[in-house]
Amino acid sequence: MFGAALDQFKVVDLSGHIAGPLCAKLFADYGAEVIKVEPPGAGDPSRSIGPFFKDDPHPEKSLLFFYLNCNKQGVTLNLDTVLGRDTLLAIVKDADVLIESFPPGHMDRLGLGYSTLERLNPGLVVTSITPFGQNGPYRDYLGNDLIYYAMSGMMYASGAYHREPLKHGHPQSYYMGGMIAAYATSAALFSRALTGQGQHIDLSLQESVAAHHYDSATRYSYTGTIERRAPKVESGSFKGVRFEGIVPGKDGFISPTMQRGRPTAPFSEYVTFLGHPELDDERFADRQLIAEHRQELDDVLLPLIREWKKADYFNTFMSSGFVAGVVQTSEDLANCPQLEERGYFTEVEHPVIGRVKVPGEIFRLPECPWSLRSPAPLLGQHNEDVYCGKLGYAKERLVALRQLGVI
Amino acid sequence: MDARPTGKRGPLAGLRIIDSTTMVAMPTGLHIMADMGAEVIKVETHTLFRTEAARLMYADNDPGDQPWNRDGSFNTLQRGKLGVTLNLKLPEGVQAFKELTRISDVVVENNRAGTMDRLGLSYEALRREKPDLIYVSNTGFGHTGPWRTYAGIGRMFELTCGLSQFTGYPDEGPRRVGKAFFDLHVGWTAVFAILAALHYRQKTGKGQWIDLAMYQIGVSTMGDAILDYEVNGRNGRLMGNRHPSHAPHGVYPCRGDDKWIAIAVENDGQWDALCRIMGEPAWTREERFADPLSRWRGQDELDGLIGQWTAGHDHLELMARLQQAGVPAAAVMNSKEIVTDPHVKARKFYERVSHPSSAGIGDKTYFGRPWKMSKTPSFIRRPAPSLGEHNELVMEDLLGRSAEEVQGLYRAGVLGKTPTDPPDFKPPSYQKQLEDGSLAGYDPDYAEIVGTE
Repeated sequence: MFGAALDQFKVVDLSGHIAGPLCAKLFADYGAEVIKVEPPGAGDPSRSIGPFFKDDPHPEKSLLFFYLNCNKQGVTLNLDTVLGRDTLLAIVKDADVLIESFPPGHMDRLGLGYSTLERLNPGLVVTSITPFGQNGPYRDYLGNDLIYYAMSGMMYASGAYHREPLKHGHPQSYYMGGMIAAYATSAALFSRALTGQGQHIDLSLQESVAAHHYDSATRYSYTGTIERRAPKVESGSFKGVRFEGIVPGKDGFISPTMQRGRPTAPFSEYVTFLGHPELDDERFADRQLIAEHRQELDDVLLPLIREWKKADYFNTFMSSGFVAGVVQTSEDLANCPQLEERGYFTEVEHPVIGRVKVPGEIFRLPECPWSLRSPAPLLGQHNEDVYCGKLGYAKERLVALRQLGVI
Repeated sequence: MDARPTGKRGPLAGLRIIDSTTMVAMPTGLHIMADMGAEVIKVETHTLFRTEAARLMYADNDPGDQPWNRDGSFNTLQRGKLGVTLNLKLPEGVQAFKELTRISDVVVENNRAGTMDRLGLSYEALRREKPDLIYVSNTGFGHTGPWRTYAGIGRMFELTCGLSQFTGYPDEGPRRVGKAFFDLHVGWTAVFAILAALHYRQKTGKGQWIDLAMYQIGVSTMGDAILDYEVNGRNGRLMGNRHPSHAPHGVYPCRGDDKWIAIAVENDGQWDALCRIMGEPAWTREERFADPLSRWRGQDELDGLIGQWTAGHDHLELMARLQQAGVPAAAVMNSKEIVTDPHVKARKFYERVSHPSSAGIGDKTYFGRPWKMSKTPSFIRRPAPSLGEHNELVMEDLLGRSAEEVQGLYRAGVLGKTPTDPPDFKPPSYQKQLEDGSLAGYDPDYAEIVGTE
């Protein structure tokens, strides 16, 4: 066997919160050796972010930190000290990737800017993840998920016409940024195999969300028109018909459609699957007529859909070739037969949390699969392994570094 | 506009990828790889209409003689690629696909499970042509499992992947945000997956088949939520624009029609700075807003009071003032405001592309990539191909067919440059959309504003 896809790479994860750690996690999951470097004391900020195991806000019990840092080794290092910076340089000397998420200029002020790192290790790929990138008038602006959505264009066109624009309720911008950082970093490594040279990657979280709003800027450039939140539509509807929006079922929300391949299935076919073949109605014979009788369509169909359990609706219609969606809860995901069948969950034993089923393999590389090798590290768990085992520091030095507040 | 480093090698220079995909997710991933210097050959057919070219976004709102070549959505998704039309229902088309595979590194397809097998273009078939081939199949739910035949439609994944349980106004119900939300995330994941397989091939000489499932990728962004259910029994709830623990955290009205500002206060220092900018009104010193917890509990009233203050301000000016004072704030920008924003312009996030004069499209701008690499430039290396634009290049230069043979393939319907069954194209009426409010505005001088006139 040749091992994992990325086990030839050594990654130093100096980043915090979600995006950077996710980037490093993707490398770790596909085999890279990842050393996570945290500040002594509080550690990665995500250790202070919930949800927590049994709602106990203990630094080793953040489920967010846990999810994003499995498969990594963890060390502590105070970069505000000379010895801390020297130690980081020793770690980075033979690394392939450094991922960091400090504000622009911070690494330079520490004496750890890209030009310094490049001199030390010309093959190093340094991936910097910041709110607005390393240059430009807003480079020092403060960001968070809401801020990126606001400045992406996506939020302006989402939500109800007469209400404030709306973002996703889970902080997706960081997940987008982490995945983008991972492919860009991997591409730089691919290039390095030919050129021998590493480089600096400057990733902007605001642009990551703007990239998701991919065709509205094109629309403006092509036609001069500016998209807005859809008018005259009720809860979550799609193109004006509530029926095609998100509507209540018996035990949750359903997004029903009559779409069955192309073209759309006739009304009679749809209501037959819905269990009411007697309801054929010429007011709804085609798209045009439906558009003229939206309210009537909703009046007829919504009460019928309310009688369906969402899983039944989803399976009945999807297995018959219709397009359907249901609002799945975390419970539905945890118990999903499709994810189960594809081996999505893996159990891992964490020293503080105990045994947990972890959502895992994003995609399968059959020749060199994803693997869950270790749970997220405790704060400083691998100090001895890394500093003594890999850098060759004597035990006494480790003690001294601890007493000096370096680790 | 900007001096692009044309001709410079990108990080993926030397790779050749066959893009036999449709819709949004895979085309997005592969246009990024083209920006990075890979040669991406889009294989489509003139016998099926370009489904992506149905967004009614024609250059200058004119469908022209060849509307399928003038659609902004298609031209965004397929930028940077070469285009060949191969009718895979005919043996000569399948044969050409196989020969192209022999000289390529990666094949990507997004058909329903079984389709490529029926065409004789499955991974098993193509690895006989190219033993170290990397072959990606993208479907909604993957090629295994009880949902493997279910249709994978972009706009449903927000719901099924668990994101919609958090998304919507809390007094209303779940809503969608954006379009086909996970499509781009899946495209980016495909790039990461392909590169992981390439790194593996580099050290082992082995290719492989990657069974990409959009659902699984979307669910991977919900790890903390799934764990919250497993250990705490908790499901998500609708969050609006709010944060689980910080307040104020929302979107507030500004001066003008449909102008808004987002403010996200994360600590006491930012709250104090916000109060200073607001002029320290008396209510900010009341007991009910004295600490972060009471502000979070009282955010209904807090949001109302802040909204009364923001309503008198210009959203862009207020963003600058708040940010300069250290308060995370952002104008809620529409697409025009984004493409003309000074920061976005300074970063050159939107790139200008010149279409060939024969296309009659002129210059247009497209979004770039959310990152910059310091040594290997990425940029949009060519506009999207018109239908069959590179048939001759692919068939003659790459596959060694003679000009006569290529003419024969056109006659046989294997190649084509005009769709055999195009739908009826009508330019949309902006007037109606402006009246019903689905468009916020129309600028006749947009080319001047964007800088492409």
